[in-house]
Parts: sequence; structure tokens; C-alpha cells
Amino acid sequence: MVHRRGVWVLEEAPSLPSGPYKTYIVLAYQQFGTPFFVLQENVVFVRGVKAMLPITTGVIPFGLVMGTVTANADLSLLQSFGMNFFVFAGASQLAAVDLMTQQVSILVVVATAFIINLRMMLYSAALSGLVKNQNLMVKALLSYAITDQTYAVLVANQEHLKSDRDKIVFYAGAALCMITAWQIAVVAGFVFGNFAPSSLALDYAVPLSFMALTLPALKNKTYYAVAITSAVLSVVLKELPFNTGLLLSGAIAICLGGFLTRTRNNANR
Amino acid sequence: MPIDSAYFWTIVAGMAIGSFSIRGSFIFLSRWIKISDRTRELFSFIPAAILPALVMPLVFFHEGSSQWLMGKERLTVLFIAAVVCYYSRSMITTIFFGLSILFLINQFIP
Repeated sequence: MVHRRGVWVLEEAPSLPSGPYKTYIVLAYQQFGTPFFVLQENVVFVRGVKAMLPITTGVIPFGLVMGTVTANADLSLLQSFGMNFFVFAGASQLAAVDLMTQQVSILVVVATAFIINLRMMLYSAALSGLVKNQNLMVKALLSYAITDQTYAVLVANQEHLKSDRDKIVFYAGAALCMITAWQIAVVAGFVFGNFAPSSLALDYAVPLSFMALTLPALKNKTYYAVAITSAVLSVVLKELPFNTGLLLSGAIAICLGGFLTRTRNNANR
Repeated sequence: MPIDSAYFWTIVAGMAIGSFSIRGSFIFLSRWIKISDRTRELFSFIPAAILPALVMPLVFFHEGSSQWLMGKERLTVLFIAAVVCYYSRSMITTIFFGLSILFLINQFIP
């Protein structure tokens, strides 16, 4: 098919890796650059959305719980939505609403939420190289969209993404899907209550999806050792206050990974 | 007692600033930070180190209904689903399979 500026272009994606995506046919509006470029952008974006879609099975019931909890705490829809929009960190929001109903002091609530979210600093560090040369807007949006799921889904799929630009576009697709599912679920939970049938135990999709995101990250024995250490420690340290058990387990497991790879590198020399 | 509006929005503002500065921390400093290959290798441990620590307390301490599995049906299903995930390499298959097995256990195993 001939490509011209400013025309609708129907084209089968030619250079995608074989697999479930090779039969994509995308309708792309050619406005900037080559049509091929537009096509690639769209396909990678769609792949991001599609990678996140099954994970929303776990996000939606969690959002319904969040919406129901805010409704039960006599918050308005605007307050519920505003908190979601500005904070956008589910676990810390649940903890904060619980503390607010007990009239705990502002400083304690904010500090508790801060510690619960602190693990995302690791994601920020890991993603910093990716957006190093992007403008402030891209950096801000990418930062805002950091969640356990968006980070993990990018890492789990990164070997299929050729350039940094592809990674960012993929991440954007995944993040848009995540944010949309979360916001709609919370509003739905607020308005209709928690209508997810409890017999289906949809909340269990959260651990399932995290497990499925962990496996591709386990590239060799060292990674298995790190994952098992972290799993065991998180159970042992569960009683520590303010989610510090999670942080400590993660930190020790990363140190173990560093230690194991260090001895291996020395041995090779 | 209803939550006071000013109290609520002050907390939301604090949380919003907190969570955004955590998320943006290294990203906004990235221009001035040089990441060595060794650091990048350490970053590659993050998913393996954090995700299991998020999952295990949720699953291990869950009090299930099955007497036969001592209330640990979620833990059991997680291991089975991990095997399925390892061979299928598919998120949809893993979630669908895990939820189905859990449903069946909850329905039919006392």
C-alpha cells in the first residue's frame, strides 16, 4: 500500500517478532514521520495495554474494596476520586482511610503512607536510566504511573522491546490500562458497593499475577535464591510495624543477590 | 464520626506529595546520576526481591475454609499455578487456572 502524508494507511505490521502479535493489522493516521514509525508506536502501545489487561483481574476487585471502604467512611465521591487521582497508591490509601476513621494525627497518617510507598523508590531508580534524556513532562507522567504492576510488567516484557523508546511506549500502554481500570473500579465500588461475587475470590488474582510477573525475572539460580529469600523473610518479618518487613525483606534479598554475583565475578577472574 | 474535610484534604495533599516524590525521586535526578553496570545488575534483582515479599504474607497468612488443606488452599494453589505459569508462560492462563482451581477447592473440598 502506498503511504502519503495525511492519509489513512492500512498496513499489516511487517517487522514484529513472531508470536501472538504478528497478525496485527492497524489503522494508523499518518501525520508525523513515516507511516512505519506510527505503526510501530501503535502496536507497541497496544502490546502494553494487552499485557496489563489480564492483571486488571486483580486490580478491579481491589479497587472495588477501596471504593466501598471510602463510601463506608462517609467520604464524598469527590473525596474518594480526588484521593485516588492525586495519591494513586492503593495499599497506602486503604491504610490511610482506616487511620482517618480513627482520627489519627495528620503526621502519623502521612508518614505511614510514605513508608508503605517507599518500595517504589527502587522502581524509580531502576527506571531512571530509561527516561534519562526525556523531557520533564515524560518524566513526570512516567513517575506518576509507577506501580508494582506497571514496573513488573515492563521488566517481564523488556526482552521483546528493542529500544528505550519502545519500552516507554509499552509502559505508557500498560500504565493507561492500569490507571483506567483502577479509577473505574474505585468509582464503581463507591457507587454500587463491592459487587464482585466472593465465591469467585477475584482478589486472589493479585498474588497470582505478581507470581506470574516474578517468574520471567528469574533468569538463573541467583535470582531464584533472591526470590526464595525474600519470600521466606517477608513471612518471618510480617509482624514488624508499618510495612517495614516488606522493605527489609526486599533490601536483604537484593544484598544477597549482590553478594552472590560478586563472589561469582571474583571467581571468574 | 465523619472525617473532617480539611483534615482529609491535608492528608491527601501530604500523601500526594509523598508518593510523587518517592516515584519521581531517582527519575528526576537521573540527569545527574551515572548508573554503573554493576548498579544496573543490582537493579535487575528488584522484581525477584520485592514481588515475592508482596505476595507471600498475603497468601501464607490467609485463613482459608478448607479443613483438609488446613486453611492454606491459597498457598497450595499458588504453587500449582507457578508450575502452570512456568510451562505456559502466559499471564491469562495462570490467572484463569489459579482462580478456577481455588474456586473448585472452595466448592468441593471440605
